[in-house]
Amino acid sequence: MEDHLQNLYEVLSKVDGYVYPNEIELNWSILIVLYPYITGLVAGAFILASLERIFKVKILKPTYGIALLTAFSFMLVATMPLVSHLGKPQRAYEIMITPHSSSAMAIFGFVYLWYLMVVLFLELWFDYRRDMVIWANETTGFKRFMYKVLSLGTTDISPKAVALDDKIGYIITVIGVPSAFLLHGYVGFIFGSIKANPWWSTVLMPVIFLFSAMVSGIALVMLVYIVLTKIRKQLIDMDCLDTIAKYLFYILLIDFALEGLDQIHRIYVAEESFEALHKLVFGKLFYSLFIFQGLLGTIVPILTLGTLQFYKPRPVIRKTIYTILGGLVLMGIFFMRWNVVIGGQLFSKSFYGYTSFKTSLIGIEGYGMAIIWLIVPFLILSFLLWLLPPWKKIETSHD
Amino acid sequence: MPQHLKRLIGVFVIFILFFLVMRQVLRPKSFGELGHFRADAIYENTLRPMHYAVADSCTKCHKDIRSDKDLGFHAKLKCEVCHGPALKHATFANKFKNKQLPDSLVLYKPGERKDCAVCHQRNAARIKITFDTINTTMIHQVDIMKHHPVDPKTNAALKCIDCHNPHQP
Repeated sequence: MEDHLQNLYEVLSKVDGYVYPNEIELNWSILIVLYPYITGLVAGAFILASLERIFKVKILKPTYGIALLTAFSFMLVATMPLVSHLGKPQRAYEIMITPHSSSAMAIFGFVYLWYLMVVLFLELWFDYRRDMVIWANETTGFKRFMYKVLSLGTTDISPKAVALDDKIGYIITVIGVPSAFLLHGYVGFIFGSIKANPWWSTVLMPVIFLFSAMVSGIALVMLVYIVLTKIRKQLIDMDCLDTIAKYLFYILLIDFALEGLDQIHRIYVAEESFEALHKLVFGKLFYSLFIFQGLLGTIVPILTLGTLQFYKPRPVIRKTIYTILGGLVLMGIFFMRWNVVIGGQLFSKSFYGYTSFKTSLIGIEGYGMAIIWLIVPFLILSFLLWLLPPWKKIETSHD
Repeated sequence: MPQHLKRLIGVFVIFILFFLVMRQVLRPKSFGELGHFRADAIYENTLRPMHYAVADSCTKCHKDIRSDKDLGFHAKLKCEVCHGPALKHATFANKFKNKQLPDSLVLYKPGERKDCAVCHQRNAARIKITFDTINTTMIHQVDIMKHHPVDPKTNAALKCIDCHNPHQP
């Protein structure tokens, strides 16, 4: 067969039914799945930290510092999947130089910088300043240098100054909670506001993204806490772990209810796109939506966590169950992002056909790159935990 | 105000000032003159070399083909769609009257099955055409492999232009 026809047949073999020419290739690949996933982890981890700080859930104290550092580590990497996806890192700064207020995407640089610098950085700074001043005097070499630079060379750790730090830190957390809501609501907004795509276009999208963010962030901090106590060979605070699991259960329930509401609304309204979406959900998204996201990522954790609210087995068993559930929830939320981002591009806007998504391990848009951007935050977190260990901090009551 | 707050505010002020200065330095000069884009981009685009002539420049010399074409389904198809960009040819070819044209001025002569298939191979994404609705704005769809199959033994196939005059198909 002639080459030209061979190419055409190859391209069309990816396609079922009728799709427009620009729908054959998926432009938003696995890296765009990763971006809302990582920002969700940031927002969720921060909200867990705020539970202790603002809502005075004192039992969560052991995870406060871990949650903040986790949020900060993941926030530093949040833009990287976007930068790799766009493939022009040397032009990344342009989003800050020429922002456009009428484009949700073009304003991202400022949403991001606000959250990174004004919320996370400042909260960590005020929280750690006194300890950094003390540690600077106790350590030598690189660590001492880092503490000196990070504390901006300040030395004032009088009770008055520390009380002021605590007060400002509290105010920043109060600002931080709506900011965290805004950050992740914004990511959902980007998808929800695309009117041309019936799989995305729903006003519930920012809210669903927000609650799934909280779910994933809480699960991540829970896992980090479990692993960290294991590595440090410390006894885990089971009351704290049970409380995190309790919050995970509540938020997961709300998240499940919201997503259910969204789906019921779609089924009830049954717009012209319904048949195409119905086929998508039961066809190409069946495993990722019903098995990974629905069953393993939501139903199993809800049932298990629900049971654990009434029946409490031995701590060792509970810890193992929490570890497994944390992993399942994180996987479930990843597939939730997958189903939104990839699912929204698999069907033709003519509603008469479907395309398929294939990606390789190697390459700028491959799985390898995605795995790298999931590992890097953990490396940053390890460094930060080494530099700013929350367990070595002087106890403050945050009252 | 305590010393550490002064330093922190100082760092933020330096950061914001640095950002404002860098913004001035990095912002392209002509940005915003005509809208939310770099106005020079338009000027730079006008500097790019041109490649296409227009249909009238072909007609100046190739009147016979033009009159052939005007009678058929390809009447509205511009010459350069099949023969490629022809600005150089249109500008310089008349200097080589009765002489061999240099390679750089020779235009593409599409004659293979694949050339016709670009538009005429049956494709579900194109408007379906039936004989009673045929008009010049629709492209005739043919499954070329069925229309004239390749001989499996000799691997030979008739070319479309063996039967159809491309200028008046």
